[in-house]
Amino acid sequence: MNYPPLLMRLGIGRRRFPVWLPLFLLWPVAAAVIIVLAPLVLLAALILWPSVWGKLVLLSGPMLLGILSALRGLELNLNLGSRLLQISFK
Amino acid sequence: MSDSQKRILDLLAEKKISVDEAQRLLSLTEPGKDTGTQGPEESAGSKGKPRYFRVQVQPEAGSGKKSVNVRIPIALIRAGMKLTSLIPANASDEVNEALREKGVDFDVRNLKPEDFEELVAALTDLEVDVNGGREKVHIYVE
Repeated sequence: MNYPPLLMRLGIGRRRFPVWLPLFLLWPVAAAVIIVLAPLVLLAALILWPSVWGKLVLLSGPMLLGILSALRGLELNLNLGSRLLQISFK
Repeated sequence: MSDSQKRILDLLAEKKISVDEAQRLLSLTEPGKDTGTQGPEESAGSKGKPRYFRVQVQPEAGSGKKSVNVRIPIALIRAGMKLTSLIPANASDEVNEALREKGVDFDVRNLKPEDFEELVAALTDLEVDVNGGREKVHIYVE
């Protein structure tokens, strides 16, 4: 089972050491927000169901979660001479 | 150590291949690597099912330090493909129109997850190496 990344490594500019961001601290907060918002999202989906946006509202949550989970392993290392960008998800 | 592994290490010592390439080739030569015990971070080349799409742009020696190394999980592309099913019909028409203005005659509604799976399966055998003089571009899946 895929689960969201726990750490994000971010390096911008000429920093010798990239910053490790503990994403795992965000997930409990995000889970709480999702639980609180879930009934409202369901209600919005029901109201908007006759239009094309109902399906979008209902499925956007699981799709976003899928994208977040798929971020594990993403790695970008761009060295453009004077500028350096390093992003990776673990 | 087998002959092929020695050969790979020789190529690495002679700097004919990069460390990443050597690691990937070694993982293919090691017996027991394809037992399904690999973690998500390890190469899946020996399993046959690609996990990552890689693009590497390496500068030739003495031509500056610009380089690009991108590793995109196939799962991320797959998740993005699923988003196309959420595009409302009128938005698809607008996207198609914008593409047509740019000279691309393509209907985004024709993008199907099955086509993507077929494409990923075909990518397993694909490896693109472009040596453009100042830099070397390497595109492959692992």
